[in-house]
Amino acid sequence: MNRVAVQCIKELRQFVRDRLSVALAFGLPALSMLLYGFATRLEIKNIPLVVQNLDNSALSRSFIERLYTNEQFVPVRCPGGDLVKTVLNRGIAEAVVIIPPEFARKLRAGLPSPVEALIDGTDVNNARVIKNSIIATTNSFLDIEGLSPFRPLIHPQVRLWFNPGRKESLFVVPGAFGIVLLIYPALLCALAMARETEQGTILQIYASSLTASEFILGKVAAYVIVGIAETLLVLLIGFVVFHLSVAGDALLFTLGTLLYLIDACLYGLMIAVGAKTQNAAVQAVAFGGFTPALLLSGYLYPVRNIRYPFNLVADFVPARYYIELSRDTFVRGAGWAGQWFVPVFLTLVGLLLFRIARKRLGRMQISA
Amino acid sequence: MLKLWLKAFVSSRLWALSQKELRQILRDRQLLFLLMFPPTIQLFIFGFALNPEVTHLRLAVLDLSNSPTSRELVSALVENHVFDLWRVGTTYRQVTEAVCDGKVEAGLIIPPEFNREIKQGRQARVQVLLDGVDANKAGIAGGYVSQIFTAFSRRLETGASSPIELDASFLYNPGLISAWFFVPGVMGLVLNLTGSLVSSSALVREKDSGTLEQLLMTPAASWEILMAKIVPLFIVLNITVLLALSMGALIFQVPFRGNFLFYMAISALYIFVAISIGLMLATIARNQRQVVMTSFFFNLPIIQLSGAVAPVASMPLFFQYLSLLNPLRYYVACIRAVLLRGVGLEVLWPNVLALFAFAAVLLLASAHQFRRQLG
Repeated sequence: MNRVAVQCIKELRQFVRDRLSVALAFGLPALSMLLYGFATRLEIKNIPLVVQNLDNSALSRSFIERLYTNEQFVPVRCPGGDLVKTVLNRGIAEAVVIIPPEFARKLRAGLPSPVEALIDGTDVNNARVIKNSIIATTNSFLDIEGLSPFRPLIHPQVRLWFNPGRKESLFVVPGAFGIVLLIYPALLCALAMARETEQGTILQIYASSLTASEFILGKVAAYVIVGIAETLLVLLIGFVVFHLSVAGDALLFTLGTLLYLIDACLYGLMIAVGAKTQNAAVQAVAFGGFTPALLLSGYLYPVRNIRYPFNLVADFVPARYYIELSRDTFVRGAGWAGQWFVPVFLTLVGLLLFRIARKRLGRMQISA
Repeated sequence: MLKLWLKAFVSSRLWALSQKELRQILRDRQLLFLLMFPPTIQLFIFGFALNPEVTHLRLAVLDLSNSPTSRELVSALVENHVFDLWRVGTTYRQVTEAVCDGKVEAGLIIPPEFNREIKQGRQARVQVLLDGVDANKAGIAGGYVSQIFTAFSRRLETGASSPIELDASFLYNPGLISAWFFVPGVMGLVLNLTGSLVSSSALVREKDSGTLEQLLMTPAASWEILMAKIVPLFIVLNITVLLALSMGALIFQVPFRGNFLFYMAISALYIFVAISIGLMLATIARNQRQVVMTSFFFNLPIIQLSGAVAPVASMPLFFQYLSLLNPLRYYVACIRAVLLRGVGLEVLWPNVLALFAFAAVLLLASAHQFRRQLG
């Protein structure tokens, strides 16, 4: 145990000595948090919308007014001509709504008068948002103008729980914790390990009486400590800049985060054991850690939308479970009842990674 | 004349140096691996994993009315696969707890008087609970809920149809296939990452191993050394572009509606941008580790603010302005427009102009930096 502590202190000293590494170890997580937190927004507000009014009646004008009142759409002047060519191809607006001639007269006479909408489908998510929004406007327009032939008999009272203001930052920022706290501790640990191999100092370790387990634990302990400091930094950003607050169980989150940091460092170390250069180690960590954490974790879009066979991989991505825990802690607040499996899973992953790392380190020792 | 010029070129130093670089690239297994493997995998995962569709939300139902109408209402919610019936609860608490614990994304509570009120022609209220953690998903789901309810109400009152039926059509991607949005974005992202990585590591390796000094001792001018570095990378990266393009077409059936030559021309411009970014990084950094760290520092904002994954228009204003300084933003906008909208220079000229400016400035700056370091 003592030897583990000594190894850990040695590692921390070495880390602190390299000024650039220290600066990047804290600068990069902070930068990532701000970028992910501010610049990942899925829904467009202020969608540019062109309305071509072929009716020009009071009723059609009030319909147009309705479209623009909910502040989701911004009016763009209708340039005329072939609207697909002049508006959508050029990307001047995301959607075109065409009100047919005789719109008012037909509606007053109780006849149907369909409205046409051309929506830019390039951004798939926003295309859906736009269509939903136009339909909702149309329905409320009918109700308000008293044009609806029937009174809707069923009235759904939709309640948005946990996030009634639909703030996307509440979704994105806890998710970003899962990415930042995986990739940077893993990178630092991998770099430290690969440096030993690259500079040949690993041979001194082999020659010493230090066992593989002690060596791994010492290194991991050092970078978990660095990881804890990074965690405090990103949490501070989360609280101060993005106004997060703890809704769930802080103790569970602390435990989960600690396990997650250990997993991250073990993962970095395990990858780096086989790498010959620091560069190769970083590539491997970035690729094997970053891509799944970003894409197979539900950070942006639901995990259950992932297609076969990648959905099978997603079940084993620790970031996925940690992000769920983080969202629960800061937004939903179920605590142990909903999230008890997260620490269990993270512990299992940690044990697995430790075994692999020890095996690979042992194998190397023989060949050296 | 052409023959003479060709002969002069083949016997030139530039040609010899280029050949040396190309051989070095082809011999370097790790580099070749970097050129082919990560782009392929990234395209795959992005294309298959990111899907903003809102379907199959788990729904918990508490039906206190337990009447044919209420059961029909539940099946109306389930039948078009927006919602999947997760379980039918027996108490209010069961449903709310399922939502609280994140076991379901939506809860539906139908009150006991539901059927009676409808029969008497009064408005019946039902409660829908939506998990709002994913704001985007909740917004779309909420829209679906009210559409389904409106349609259901209408069906109850036989024959009545809405006077304003919205006839909506999605242009460029009528089926709203998510891969068509993400794959062009990832092509840009991959080209940026691969280009900057390969060029920086090619230069730093030579710095690290000290062979750069040997090259300097030869009669070759520094611009020849630099050109010879850039030309083979340029050729190799063009292959990456074609690889990504054919993957997009074959695996994800992304359409190609624009002009192929135009596409290759803007890609060539962007290859120069990516190579220059790599050369810059290599001149700033002293060793491989610093290259890797600084490339993270630069590539992270470049990718995040490019609109490859999340649209630029949805970012806060400050970041939208910041993204104007991001070359990748223009490239992604271009290739998306060429592939999906099928437009060309007549629409995209401002983007192309910006890319030109970036390529020229970055290339000159990195060449200047390179020569200063050698001097």
